[in-house]
Amino acid sequence: MTNASKTYNIMFAGVGGQGLMLLSAILGKAAVDSGLKVMTGEQHGLSQRQGSIYVHFRIGEPISPLIPYGRADMMIAMEASEALRYVEYLKEDGIVIMSNRITPSVTETEKVALDKEKKTKYLTVEQIVERLKQVTKNVVLLDSLELALQAGNARTENSVLIGATVACADFPIKAEEVRKAVLALVPPKTVESNSKAFDLGKDAGSTCLS
Amino acid sequence: MTVEDVKRVDKGLALMLANEAIVRGALEADVKVVAFYPGSPTSEILDTFGDVLDHFKDYKMQIAANEKVALETVAGASMAGQRSFTSMKSVGMNVASDSMYSIGYTGLNAGCVCLIADDPYAHSSQSEQDGRYFGKAAYVPMIEPSTAQEARDMTKWAFEISEKHKTLVIIRTTTRVNHQRGMVQLEQLERTPFKKHKWKDVKGQYFTVGSVARSLKAKLLEKSAAIQSDFEKTKFNYIVPGTGNVGILTAGVCFLHAQEAMQNLDVTLPIFKLGTLSPLPEKKISEFLKSLSTLIVIEELTPFLETQIAAIAKTVNPDLNIVGKRSGHFSEMLEYNVPIVEKVLAEVLDKKPSMDYDAVLAKAEKLKAILPERPPIFCPGCPHRGTLWSFRQALQQLKIRDNIVFNNDIGCYSMAFLPPNEFSDSMLAMGASMGISAGMAMSLEDKVIAMVGDSTLYHAALPGIVNLIHHNSNVTIFVLDNSVTAMTGQQYNPNSEFDAGGHPARKINMEKMFEALGANSVTIIDPYETRDCIGPIKAAIEADGLNVIISRRECALYGDRLKKVAGEKIIPSENIKDTCRGIYACVKEFYCPAITIDESDGKMIIQRDLCDGCLECRQVCPVDAPRHMEVAK
Repeated sequence: MTNASKTYNIMFAGVGGQGLMLLSAILGKAAVDSGLKVMTGEQHGLSQRQGSIYVHFRIGEPISPLIPYGRADMMIAMEASEALRYVEYLKEDGIVIMSNRITPSVTETEKVALDKEKKTKYLTVEQIVERLKQVTKNVVLLDSLELALQAGNARTENSVLIGATVACADFPIKAEEVRKAVLALVPPKTVESNSKAFDLGKDAGSTCLS
Repeated sequence: MTVEDVKRVDKGLALMLANEAIVRGALEADVKVVAFYPGSPTSEILDTFGDVLDHFKDYKMQIAANEKVALETVAGASMAGQRSFTSMKSVGMNVASDSMYSIGYTGLNAGCVCLIADDPYAHSSQSEQDGRYFGKAAYVPMIEPSTAQEARDMTKWAFEISEKHKTLVIIRTTTRVNHQRGMVQLEQLERTPFKKHKWKDVKGQYFTVGSVARSLKAKLLEKSAAIQSDFEKTKFNYIVPGTGNVGILTAGVCFLHAQEAMQNLDVTLPIFKLGTLSPLPEKKISEFLKSLSTLIVIEELTPFLETQIAAIAKTVNPDLNIVGKRSGHFSEMLEYNVPIVEKVLAEVLDKKPSMDYDAVLAKAEKLKAILPERPPIFCPGCPHRGTLWSFRQALQQLKIRDNIVFNNDIGCYSMAFLPPNEFSDSMLAMGASMGISAGMAMSLEDKVIAMVGDSTLYHAALPGIVNLIHHNSNVTIFVLDNSVTAMTGQQYNPNSEFDAGGHPARKINMEKMFEALGANSVTIIDPYETRDCIGPIKAAIEADGLNVIISRRECALYGDRLKKVAGEKIIPSENIKDTCRGIYACVKEFYCPAITIDESDGKMIIQRDLCDGCLECRQVCPVDAPRHMEVAK
C-alpha cells in the first residue's frame, strides 16, 4: 500500500457564517482522538459573511495541505451550489454529502428579480446534483434543515451532515469517535439535539449509500 | 479547541493551526511583550495571544495603531531586556520597514522576532508581494517554516538566534503555512513572571546616523557572516536523500507540494530543504549542487532563490541545468499546489503525471458553467451598505456622478468598487486615499472625495489628513466609523474603548480630533437612518474646503457579538407582500444577501436566518414594505 492511498481526503465547502470551521475542528478532534494524523488547508481570509469558503481536510499520511485535483474521497457541502464550485477536487466516484440548502448570491437574485418575463429562475438542487452525477454516482442529498428540525433544533444542520459521513463504508474514523467529538465541541445546552441530529444524518446517509 | 493546546503546560501532540503553533512557540520561548496590527493571514496570531492573555497574565500585549508602531514597540521592549514578538502581513512590513532597516544596524538586546506573511494568489492582499527581499536587503536573518510543527519549532529557535546575535529575526511564511492545521509536538511550557527592568541594568545604545552608521555597517557585515556560519549547521537546512543526479531545492509550503508530487510519480529525488532564506547556507548548498546535473528550484513568486543559486552554481558547478522560472517551467504568478509541481517534475523526468489534471480541470469548468458567481459582499446588517446607498442618492440628486473622483482605501468598504456601487477610482494601500486626493485636488476640476475606515484612519491616513488640512485642500472625507478593525475579525483599534484581551483603553475622540486639526466641518450620520444621511452628505460634498462626514454605526458582526454577550436577541425583518410593489430597490440598489425573490409571486422575501434586523432595506424601499418581525431569533 502506498502512502497516497493511506490518505483520506475531504473537501469541505460552504458559505461564510455556516460554521464550516467548527465542522472541520470536530472531524479533526475525532481523527486525532482515534490516533490518526490530520492536516488541513483552511481559508480564513476576510471575515465578511456569505462568501464562498472551503477547507482541505486530509487524514492519514498527508504531505501537502492542499488536496490535488481529482483526489477528494469525500465532499461535504453545507450549501448545495458550493459543492459544484469545488468539483475539480472530487475524485471520480467519490462521495458527496450535501445539504439541499441553497443560499443564492445577490447577483443571481438581481437577475431573477429584474427579468420582466419571469423566465429567469434560481439554480436548483436538481441541476446541481445532475452535474455532480457526471463525476460520481454517490451523492447523498440531505434535507438538513428538516432533519435538524426533527432533532429539535434548527441549528444542528452541521451535525446532520457529519452524521452522514460515518455511514460511508471506507470512512476512516469510527462513528462513535465522531459522535464524541461532535458532542464535545457543540454548545453544552445543545448536546441532546445534536446527538439526535447526528443519528438522523447517519441513518439518512446509510439509506442513500446502500 | 486548540486554544486549550496553546495553554497546556505538559508536552504532547496537538492538532494546531500554524498560527496557533507560532503563538505556542513564542510562549515556550517565554515571550514577554507582544504587539500587532491585524492582517490576513496573520490575524489569528494576534487573536490567539489576546485569547490567552488573561490566562497567563505574564506577558504584556498591545494592539498597535499600525505595523511600524508594533515593530517599534517590540524593539523597544527588546532594548529594555524583554523577549518580544510581532507579526504582520506582507504589506505590513512596507509600513514597518523604515524602522526595520535601522534596527538591522543598531541590533537589539533580548530576543525579538517579527513574522511576515506573504500572500501568493493575493487571497486577501492588494498584491503578491515577495517579502523575502527584506531580510537580505536589511541584513536581518530570515527563516521560513513549511509546517505547523516547524512554525512552532522555528519560532522558538528564532528567539535563540536573535538573542545570541543581538539581532531582529524575521520569520517568513505564506498563507498556506499560516492557515495550515497539522500535528504539532509541544514541549513543556515553562513561563516566568513578568518583571520590569531598570534601564541602567539593561541599557545599550540604539542610534544610527553618519559615521555611527558606517561603523555599525562594518559590524553588521561581521554579524551576518557569523549568522551564516550558524545557518550552515542548523538542522533546519537539511537534505532529504534520494537517488539520481536530478535534485530539488525548495523551502516553505513548496517543500510539501514537492514531496507529495514525488510520491505521486513514485520517484525519490534528493531535496535540499531550505529553512534559512537569508543568509543562505552557501557552503552546504555548494556541496549539494556538486553532485547534480539538474536542479529544480521550486519557489512561489519571484526567482529569489533561483537567481542566488545560479550565482553559486556558476562557481561550483557551471554545467548545472537549472529548472525554474527562468527556464520557463514555473510561473512567477499565483500560488503553487501538488499538480503544478508534479507536472514540472514529470516533464523533467520524462514521465506522465499520476493524473490528467488538465482534463479534470477542463471537465470541472464545463460542469460549473451553470453556477452563478458568488462575489464578496457586505454582511447582512452592514452599515457600509447604507452609507454607500445614501452617497449614491446624494450624487444622483446633485447630478454630479460624472464630476467627482472617488479615492477608496483598505477595509471592507474597498468592496465599494463592486456592484451595485461601482465607485473607486483608486485604492492602493493603507491610508493612501488622502495623499492621492491631495494630488488630484491640485490637478482636477472635479470634486475629490476620499473614503477611509476608522482603523485605517489611525493606521496611516492621519499624516495625509493633516497634509490636506494644512494645504487648504478642497476634499470631502468619509470616515466609516464601525468601532473595530472589521475585515480581519473585528479587532480593537484606537477607535475602541478596549485593547487586547478586552482590557480597557482610551478611545480617541474622532470628531474632536478633526475639529482640532481644523476641518471646515464635521458631520456625524447614522447609516441605519439611511434616508436622513442624504442631506448631510450633499451639504458636505457641495461645501468648499475640507469637510468630514463620519458615518457611525458598529460593524454588524461586532454588534451581533455585543448583543450575544448582553443576552439580546436579533429581531429579523420580513417583507410585507401586500405593501410590496415589486419595485426591487432593495435588490438592485442594495445587494443584501438576506434578500431573495419568491419565485411563486415574484415578490421579495427576507431570509430570516440571515437577516440582522437592521431595516436599512425599509429605508431603501419607496413604500416601506419591510418591517421587523414579531419574533426574535
